[in-house]
Amino acid sequence: MDIPIKPDSVPKGKFFSLPRKKRDVLALSRTTNAVLTVLLGVLCIVTLIPLYIIVISSVTSEAALTANGYRLWPEEFSTMAYTFLFAKGSIVITAYNNTIISTVAGTILSVLMVALYAYPLSRNNFKYKTFFTFFAFFTMLFGGGLVSYYMVTRQILHIQNSIWALFLPSAFSPFWVIVMRTFYQTNVPNEIIESARIDGASEWRTLFQIVMPLAMPGLATVALFSAIGIWNNFFNCLLLVDDAKYYSLQFTIYTTLNNIRFLLENADKMQGLVNISELPSQTFRMAMAVVTVGPIIFAYPFFQRYFIRGLTMGAIKG
Amino acid sequence: MEATSSAKSIPQKKSRWNRNKVYTNLSYLVMVLPGAIWLLLFSYLPMPGIIMAFKTYRLVRPPADSFIQNKFIYSLIQSPWVGLDNFRYLTLPTNIDATLTYVRNTVLYNLLFMVVGLVLSVALAVIIFELTNRFLAKLYHSIFFLPYFISWIVVAYVVYALGSSQGIINSGLTSTGFAPIEIYKEKIYWPFIFLVANIWKYTGNGSIIYLAVITGIDRELYEAAAIDGAGKWKQFTNITLPHLIPVIVLLQILAVGRIFGSDFDMFYTLPNGAALVKDVTQTLDVFVYSMLRSSTPLGYPAAAAFVQSIVGFILILITNAVVRRTKPELALF
Repeated sequence: MDIPIKPDSVPKGKFFSLPRKKRDVLALSRTTNAVLTVLLGVLCIVTLIPLYIIVISSVTSEAALTANGYRLWPEEFSTMAYTFLFAKGSIVITAYNNTIISTVAGTILSVLMVALYAYPLSRNNFKYKTFFTFFAFFTMLFGGGLVSYYMVTRQILHIQNSIWALFLPSAFSPFWVIVMRTFYQTNVPNEIIESARIDGASEWRTLFQIVMPLAMPGLATVALFSAIGIWNNFFNCLLLVDDAKYYSLQFTIYTTLNNIRFLLENADKMQGLVNISELPSQTFRMAMAVVTVGPIIFAYPFFQRYFIRGLTMGAIKG
Repeated sequence: MEATSSAKSIPQKKSRWNRNKVYTNLSYLVMVLPGAIWLLLFSYLPMPGIIMAFKTYRLVRPPADSFIQNKFIYSLIQSPWVGLDNFRYLTLPTNIDATLTYVRNTVLYNLLFMVVGLVLSVALAVIIFELTNRFLAKLYHSIFFLPYFISWIVVAYVVYALGSSQGIINSGLTSTGFAPIEIYKEKIYWPFIFLVANIWKYTGNGSIIYLAVITGIDRELYEAAAIDGAGKWKQFTNITLPHLIPVIVLLQILAVGRIFGSDFDMFYTLPNGAALVKDVTQTLDVFVYSMLRSSTPLGYPAAAAFVQSIVGFILILITNAVVRRTKPELALF
């Protein structure tokens, strides 16, 4: 029941025998419906093809990949790349560690900060409500530009070359503040908050014991989006990390692809300088991409219902 | 107990109520504090730095007796004002072509994505809503939403696996006797690659909000229209679209503000640093970044970044003002 269901359009069970006319008033004609269903089905398959390509090339044997190039269905399967990846790939393990730590820390921070910042903005009895709403909203419209941001983060905040660089810049978001504020307003009845106050609960207790449990779908959405935002983040690492010790997963796999492509495309100019066979194998690289996407793909079916519900409830004013 | 005390002494209750009010506001202030500090450090602190665009930034070590000990702040203040020199550099005869190319790329790609994204997201939302088989509709929507969670770097791998000299497309082309394509050397493919990648990644996500609005529309409106003989298309233009307009306007105002910005990760990682296709793949964001990391004086990227920030901000104000004048209830602020 997460994606809204159109009422009256699905005749089921004993209602099958309802007069068809009633159903036809709003339902698509049978032909249109069939055409659209098939069309969207095909588009879905097309949507999944890129992921399929990555997965299938990661389990192709290296010899087959070198001989025949990338194929939709490989001649020879092999799980060598994965064995290799987790046995030897110290850069991948380090990057994985960094990304997991920063994702967990960043998600906790951002849920807390967004939940705390958004709640007073949803309350009419907060005296500085307008000011703090504007304070957050303004940053969505105007910024100091990349150069200044770069200098400030590196020369004033000094977060470069540390694990902080990977998640602190993404640990708060005015956009989610606005969404959460609306979510509180529409999903937590004012009467409940008022009655908690009359019963003597402090603002903190009201927030943590009454409001936040009721706002769970919204908070889950913020949590999942920031988790994925930090997991997929590339820019923080590109801008603020020079030390391989703190490379994130995305940055590591990007550098690998970039180096390889450059070397391969310019192989003719570099005869003798590089030994192509010493480069990480192609299946190895694809396996890296798979382990990057892996956790998301596994978590996705469980969480996407929260995304959609949280998003739609927070984004639309009642 | 509450009732008896208030009945006895009204002034006392009033002062207690006031104290409560102060306490409430104080609690609220503590709640917004962490977020406010973050905004101050990561959003507001870089704002004054925008003046770098009008200075020749030189690193100066602050003397020991200086009030400001931070190297960056001290240097920023000490650096000489040069007026519009940095902007002039970007428009020198030797640089003007590159600058204009990057501006053109940024603006055109943004306009393209805005229009195509809007049309496809709305279309997807409407179709998903209309499909008779609800199970399939949900499944489809989940699948279309999935790419939103895949990073651009992984997409760069896909582009490589598909389009590189050993890629699937070239394997197919050469085995059927066609000449291979060289996406990292030829410009012509890139607008297409970006457009497809953008549609792939964002359409499912974009449709969620429209789907939510459509679901909220009163079904009786459609029933009445259908009884009066309006077909699906008429129902769409006369009922669905007017309901979607507020959300569309809101999102487009915000998109206009970002027209000089771009999806950095996409434009930076998909071409994978291929220099030959720079003319169609480099946007202002990437341009600013590469100047920043090169030996170019910082004033030049700062000038480009200044244009990005200010033009974006002014455009948002203008769009909002126009919307406010025509339909005040749709304006963002």
